[in-house]
Amino acid sequence: MSLTIREHAERSPIYDLHGAAPLTLLGDRLFVAGSIDESEQLQRCALIDLSNLPRVGFRGTDSAAYLQRKGYQLPEKPNQACLQSNGEQVLRLSQTEYFLLGSLTDGGARIAADEAGWHYDERQANYLLPRQDSHAWLALSGAHLPELFAKICGVDLRAETFPLGAVVQTSVARLNAIVVNACTATLPVFHLLCDRASAHYLWGALLDAMDEFGGKPAGIEALR
Amino acid sequence: MKIMTCPLNGPRNISEFTYGGELKQMPDPATCSVAEWADYVFNSENLLGVVTEWWMHTPSNYWFLAERHTGSDEILRTFDPRELFDQRVDFAAPEAAQ
Repeated sequence: MSLTIREHAERSPIYDLHGAAPLTLLGDRLFVAGSIDESEQLQRCALIDLSNLPRVGFRGTDSAAYLQRKGYQLPEKPNQACLQSNGEQVLRLSQTEYFLLGSLTDGGARIAADEAGWHYDERQANYLLPRQDSHAWLALSGAHLPELFAKICGVDLRAETFPLGAVVQTSVARLNAIVVNACTATLPVFHLLCDRASAHYLWGALLDAMDEFGGKPAGIEALR
Repeated sequence: MKIMTCPLNGPRNISEFTYGGELKQMPDPATCSVAEWADYVFNSENLLGVVTEWWMHTPSNYWFLAERHTGSDEILRTFDPRELFDQRVDFAAPEAAQ
């Protein structure tokens, strides 16, 4: 069966830039497949579109207690991220705001279910922040990430000042963005969340900045 | 680039910030006169000296307060508004016009 983006309701804002790249399904969500052979490219410099993976936010003085009841581990301080056992990331953006990123392991099913299961309760200061249609989600990988970001971002993202689990909210290529250091034992990875309507521009700007490091678009296979 | 220190995010380029006006004491909208309310909404002190102002770190939508000298443009201190605003303020809905 061939997969066509146009047949799916959930479409990345930059789906038309993926050209003829082979696609794959995670649950009912479509991603650029890539292949395991791309792991060398990912180690050097690669850009991956994760915009179809579920993500959601919560804000309020009761949000921390609400998320803990749901079984999430929360970061101790703002601008930190906490990796969950199933691969989700919980970002703490301020004293009372959290941003949850779905996992490739379950195709973001847990986050999507938690977003669908939230109900307004006037006794609780815990408000849902839908993030699927506000932000685009890109993953950048490879050994050159700090040099790459030095070209497009004013914050020092070298490992000494931007360790694993750190979050910065800043300007990337003149767009407001959230950057997360989500390196694994084997692969340097930064997640980048930006305004969804500007993703088209940022995708091109990032590929242009990556060019000198041999950066290319890739799929999710080598990231799993 | 001029650098401003955000209480939440740390030192950042000034281009990441948005100015939000002077910190002013809000008159009680239920009891103040129209002239007092208009003065609060539209007029600025525009002092020469150290003033306290609202600023926002745009990428994180975080509002905070800054003490700045309007002569030298030196930012002396930035701090979380919780230092001054530690209670929720509820506004009663205005009664419907008869």
